Amino acid sequence: MTVFLDVLLGGVFHAAILFLVAAGLQLVFGVQKVINLACGSFYALGAYFGITAVGLASAAGFPAWTVLPVLILAGLAIGLVGLPVERILRTVYRRDESYQLLLTFGLLLMFQDVFRFFWGATPRTLDNAYLAYGTAEFMGLRVPTYNLLVIAASIAIAVALGAFLQKTRTGRIIRATAENRDMSEGLGVNSSRVFAAVFTVGCMLGTVGGALVVPASASSLEMAVELVVEAFAVVVIGGLGSMRGALAGALIVGLIRAAAIMVLPEAEILSIYLVVIAVLILRPAGLFGKAMA
Amino acid sequence: MASRALLSAHQVSKSYGDFHALRNVSVHVDDGEFISIVGPNGAGKSTLVNVLTGLLKPTSGHVHFRGQDIAGIGPVELSRRGMARGFQLVNIFPELTVRETLGVAAASRLRRIGNPFRSLGGDREIRDAVEEVADIFNLRHRLDQQASALSQGEKKLLDVASAFALKPELILIDEPTSGVSTGDKHAIMELLVSASRKAGVRGIIQVEHDMDLVARYSDRIVALQAGTVLADEKPETFFKDPALIAAVVGTRPPKVPPREMAPKAAVQESRPC
Amino acid sequence: MSTPTSAPATVAPAVSPSLWRPSGLISFLVIIAAMAGLPLVASTYMLTLMVPFFGFAIALLGFNLLFGYTGLLSFGHAMFLGIGAYAAAVMTSKLGVQSLELILLVAVAAAVVIAVPVGFLCVRYTRIFFGMLTLAFGMLFHSILFKFYGLTGGDQGMRVMRPLLFGMAFEGGKTAFITGPFYYYALGLLTLLGCAMWRIVRSPFGLHLTAIRENAQKAAYLGVTVSRMRLAAYVISGVYGAIGGVILAVTIGLADPEIVYWTQSGNLVFMAVLGGSGAFAGPVVGGLAFVLLQDTVMSATQYWRFVMGAVLVLIVIFFPRGIAGLFGDAFARLKRGS
Repeated sequence: MTVFLDVLLGGVFHAAILFLVAAGLQLVFGVQKVINLACGSFYALGAYFGITAVGLASAAGFPAWTVLPVLILAGLAIGLVGLPVERILRTVYRRDESYQLLLTFGLLLMFQDVFRFFWGATPRTLDNAYLAYGTAEFMGLRVPTYNLLVIAASIAIAVALGAFLQKTRTGRIIRATAENRDMSEGLGVNSSRVFAAVFTVGCMLGTVGGALVVPASASSLEMAVELVVEAFAVVVIGGLGSMRGALAGALIVGLIRAAAIMVLPEAEILSIYLVVIAVLILRPAGLFGKAMA
Repeated sequence: MASRALLSAHQVSKSYGDFHALRNVSVHVDDGEFISIVGPNGAGKSTLVNVLTGLLKPTSGHVHFRGQDIAGIGPVELSRRGMARGFQLVNIFPELTVRETLGVAAASRLRRIGNPFRSLGGDREIRDAVEEVADIFNLRHRLDQQASALSQGEKKLLDVASAFALKPELILIDEPTSGVSTGDKHAIMELLVSASRKAGVRGIIQVEHDMDLVARYSDRIVALQAGTVLADEKPETFFKDPALIAAVVGTRPPKVPPREMAPKAAVQESRPC
Repeated sequence: MSTPTSAPATVAPAVSPSLWRPSGLISFLVIIAAMAGLPLVASTYMLTLMVPFFGFAIALLGFNLLFGYTGLLSFGHAMFLGIGAYAAAVMTSKLGVQSLELILLVAVAAAVVIAVPVGFLCVRYTRIFFGMLTLAFGMLFHSILFKFYGLTGGDQGMRVMRPLLFGMAFEGGKTAFITGPFYYYALGLLTLLGCAMWRIVRSPFGLHLTAIRENAQKAAYLGVTVSRMRLAAYVISGVYGAIGGVILAVTIGLADPEIVYWTQSGNLVFMAVLGGSGAFAGPVVGGLAFVLLQDTVMSATQYWRFVMGAVLVLIVIFFPRGIAGLFGDAFARLKRGS
């Protein structure tokens, strides 16, 4: 029973982080129709910048319990890097998607060395900063409170994002642009501003995800390319462009990974791809996706 | 009569859930016939075309082409059995030349695909087949031009010509002249009819909104309404019934007299090159 | 929020290979001739760079049959490099088979055995979905190589012993072997496979592939068996990839999981676009440019990834038709000028 709970909590924590990155990927794909390989870089950027921000904050005398808000703010702030990146990406919106993939692949390579330049090649950690929040008893299991807070924060962001897209005027404009760019332009929507905003929000989801993960695990140069494939697995399982799909996919990937680490460590990544391929064979559009070519 | 039909649909119905797109439709095309399918939007023309070309399986009923059931056989098998299909919108390979476009069909028909190392340039039979079709459609001087560089009318011709390169027995065309200027419309239709004669095509089905063209070229007109056959008449009879015309297109009678009386204009030569 | 994603068109590069057909083989043979003469003038170091280029060039010829001609972008093509590399490793270190011809045959057979089922599943999709599915299969293969230590040596990889060429053993140091007999062996293989690919793209078979790229629906009505042809292109490109992988692994002397990581697949796409996927010889030119550029940048700065990434970004934005496109424009200008 405790093993099961352990897997469950570990999996859900990982899923919470994955969901944020995948939601950013889905948002950008939904509106711009661009698969952003650099989403992994945003995640890593958030992680590195989060470490720096927490370091600065503690040097400035912030109490230990401010780690979580500092990380979230740091993620949001560095997420603004999405604005200049979107300017670059904008040049290829009307082009074939192979070029879009390659452009974001180029950005991924560039970011890799940006991290190396600013933060060096050795992995960086926030030495157990999550302990500031202590541990909680959860059905007879001791878990770091921090993990529960991150899960809660991720759920809050998911709900807020859903409400924003469904309920607000801006959200409706974004969804209209996603459905038909030319038509919404005809109705007076400034689609280049919508694109810039959407990309930046997508970027922030990635950077916040990365910032939230660092108290629990190290940031390293490999985390960007490693995350890309996991985020891909999430969106393929859930269905491209679907937010509910991102949620379901993140939970599936997170739980499978946690279970595999516990039961059969060799099959950790393997099991994820087996699920991806099974989903593609049985339900090609993903669990929540619409028909695809 | 249906026994010697080239293509026949017998009591065909097609429904999607509660919606009945076609109800007990029977149509046939005899050897040497030019059939027009007409009807208002939503009458079931597209569904009928998709059933007749084996893309859709009817919910009930049979579709036979040259005596064989073709329900749901799909586009490739259709082309092998001898039926070609053209589309409403111009449907070409933008970056292939005219020669290559026609070559695609000729290579399928002549079964040249099994060996990936076989030479295309040195294949006399393919070249002859391509040039023969290009001649029929006045595209010879365009053979080595990219399809995207052709005029709108020529693109339409190329689309139809590529179907002819399959040497089909029956050809089914969805609005062959849509998006083409009125002058070019007749030129294309004349070319289509004369090309069919030259290429040995034994039957043509067209879906058409333009009643002038329908009146002038059809041997028989099948009118659909709400998924059923409203009329299946020769043009002389069809255009004598104002109620029928009104049901199909509104009230406008055809400006052009039926085919028998139409002047056989030599539009072919007057085409701009 | 969800969005319909059912656009029917396929991935098509900016320029049709057909535009280049007359000069494609000649450009390719010019490069081959230059490579054949290179040992007379170039340093040993330069020659050690060229042998991996031959491996990439073979893989890229296959990759571009799929990408440039058929319009399918594979983002997992490094899987086939890995199949070839591990075939060479297993044959030489575990089974004691040293004949390179035999190794190549086994690599080809392994590539076919894997490409047929994987391709069967992947070719049902086009565009981005094909890319993601091939990426998933590539990473599946990577995790198998990585995690099953006993079978594959895990992250350590497996050694690739020096093979026999046409049954002949060569003495001497590794560099002498790689830049001597093996250099010409690999170059010969590249020439042979390049000419074979030229025949393929100029055949009715190749014409049907380009028809699929241009308009799959129309192609089907003209009798093109779309899925079967896509599968055939995938298998052929996989075979080329595996042969390229054998050359790479023999050169390095090692097969390790890095060779199939998805970023390696990305590099293949990079090379193809750098040279110009619209031209027959474009990807080969791109492979050469990539190898030379990477070597230059790596010796100049430790931040070579940044420079390579920036080059890729600039190419995509400003020269989407790659080096071949630049040459094409220059020729066109010369013609107009005369």
